[in-house]
Amino acid sequence: MSATVLTLEDVRVTYGEGAAAVHALNGISLDVRRGEVTMLMGPSGSGKTTLLQVMGCLLRPSAGRVRLFGESLEGAALAALTELRRRHVGFVFQHYNLFPTLKAWENVAIALDLRGAPRETLRPRALALLERLGLADRAEHYPAELSGGQKQRVAIARALAGQPVLLLADEPTAALDGATGQAVAASLKALAHELDCAVVVVSHDPRVLPYGDRVLELEDGRLKSDRRHGGNAHA
Amino acid sequence: MRVGELINPPPGTTLLAWRNLAHERARLAVTLVGIVFAVVLMGAQLGLLVGFARTASTLVDHADADLWITPEGTSNVDIAGRLPLARMYEARSVPGVARVDPYMVQFAFWKKPDGGTESVIVVGFDLATQRGAPWALTDGTPADLQRDDGVIVDHLYWDKLGITRLGQLVEINNLRVRVVGATSGIRTFTQSPHVFTTHARAQRLTLFPGYQTTYLLVKLAPGADRDAVRRALAARLPHVEVWTREGFARQTQRYWLITTGAGSALLLAAALGLLVGIVVVGQTLYASTVDRLAEYATLVALGAPTRYLNRVIVKQAAISAALGFVPGLAVTAAMAWLSRYGNTPMLLPGWLALLLAALTLGMCLLGSLVSIRRVTRIDPTMVFA
Ligand SMILES: Nc1ncnc2c1ncn2[C@@H]1O[C@H](COP(=O)(O)OP(=O)(O)OP(=O)(O)O)[C@@H](O)[C@H]1O
Ligand SMILES: [Mg+2]
Repeated sequence: MSATVLTLEDVRVTYGEGAAAVHALNGISLDVRRGEVTMLMGPSGSGKTTLLQVMGCLLRPSAGRVRLFGESLEGAALAALTELRRRHVGFVFQHYNLFPTLKAWENVAIALDLRGAPRETLRPRALALLERLGLADRAEHYPAELSGGQKQRVAIARALAGQPVLLLADEPTAALDGATGQAVAASLKALAHELDCAVVVVSHDPRVLPYGDRVLELEDGRLKSDRRHGGNAHA
Repeated sequence: MRVGELINPPPGTTLLAWRNLAHERARLAVTLVGIVFAVVLMGAQLGLLVGFARTASTLVDHADADLWITPEGTSNVDIAGRLPLARMYEARSVPGVARVDPYMVQFAFWKKPDGGTESVIVVGFDLATQRGAPWALTDGTPADLQRDDGVIVDHLYWDKLGITRLGQLVEINNLRVRVVGATSGIRTFTQSPHVFTTHARAQRLTLFPGYQTTYLLVKLAPGADRDAVRRALAARLPHVEVWTREGFARQTQRYWLITTGAGSALLLAAALGLLVGIVVVGQTLYASTVDRLAEYATLVALGAPTRYLNRVIVKQAAISAALGFVPGLAVTAAMAWLSRYGNTPMLLPGWLALLLAALTLGMCLLGSLVSIRRVTRIDPTMVFA
């Protein structure tokens, strides 16, 4: 049941050149499967965000290969990567990155619109997504009127709008208090199983660790460990 | 699109554009002031250009001739040479010609009742056919010109010429004339007012011999081919030029707008307005775009193609254009309305309003190019910073 969505083969990312070059990723090989929540841990500067960007087709690796559904992305044009993101990837950011001038439901609806959803379906579909994240009564509020946890759940609803097979979150709970962070992590885990998509969550927070099916640990751009709980969150 | 959707469109590029503008009121105000300024400046200058052009050719436009026969080398209607009246009889024998009437246009000196002197243009038309008669009469009738010394002068120039009432006696080239009628709104481009009178009296006042005139006005027979008749007249009559009415009007406009420099001055000022508009719109839109770079980067991270971002920016420009154009046009129209009794006419015909709309839109789109360039090379990984 866990079909492979994404495969990385000896991926390397180098920022800058010559003496100033920073080797952010030094040969990462792994695969990511549907229905699985992967926690990505590691000290600051270990390359977590860089790895997430490579997975999400935002950053082309300096070397190595990325395969989405078995297809190599090597040589793909920027526009082609953008289209792959639109069709398959959902992003959740540490700072939510909601559109401040749009209401909660409109934030979600924009993600539907840029995928060409018919106009009359925008509002009902956006409201349904918000309801799924327990935000039905906040649909008409602007981001500034929402709490951090609510904002992050709107962002998750927006990320789900494109029915992604790959949901990538960079420190989604870092700006939230412990309980709220755990609730958001629990939402992500439930969604991964419900929607059968692959979820990768970068986190420093040991309290959200138990919500992962698998924990990857990075150090200096290398995979230090790769543990699976076999579906048991409390291993 | 329904009316409600104009103000509250469904989520998409229009909504983003609209909200971006609405959430930056101060910036929008600056943008709109810039656009209104540009529209008014362009509208006023182009309106004056149209007004001047129409004024310059007003005699030609109103004389109701299909063709104009002028002395060789004529460059405009106001500065005329001499034609033997014999040409009139020759012209009447050309096939396709229904009527030919003489028409006098000649500068002369006007002595005001208080003694000062002004230059005027004496316009003489055939009293029997009324071809070339003054239009827009408000006092008197052309028949009043039948008395020996009658002339008609537009109200606009009564002050300048020292006229205080109908029946007033003045002198043209030291010959006595009497003001027997007035028109309203017949302006002169040359600053020398038109003084309408009969053809014979015009000859006398301007010291023309009875066998000479300045122009011949041709009416075609029904169904005659205007261009063929024009060529036939030109071939038949020596030392003349034959123009269509539109051709002579355009030549006269070109002559006055170019020789006086009015045309290029007005066009330059209009171009300046356009430039100011482009710079103001470009500046404010760019500032807005830079402020919202993180939002544009988020859109790209979510998979929005560049054209989606461009659409947000272009729509911001287009909405600004529309919001600024309406008051700008209203101010321009008010200025045109106020100028209708003044010495300087400003006209705002429908096609000019459309041209202004197109210029405004083009101005805003040009202004948006810098912003489009900026988001085209946006780096979506900045959203993780
Ligand atoms: N755009 C960039 N240009 C140059 N160097 C970069 C860039 N982005 C990241 N780096 C460097 O690459 C390395 C990995 O960075 P990355 O952001 O992936 O780390 P991280 O694990 O996400 O850290 P943190 O936990 O602090 O977010 C760091 O040394 C960082 O300084
Ligand atoms: Mg990071």
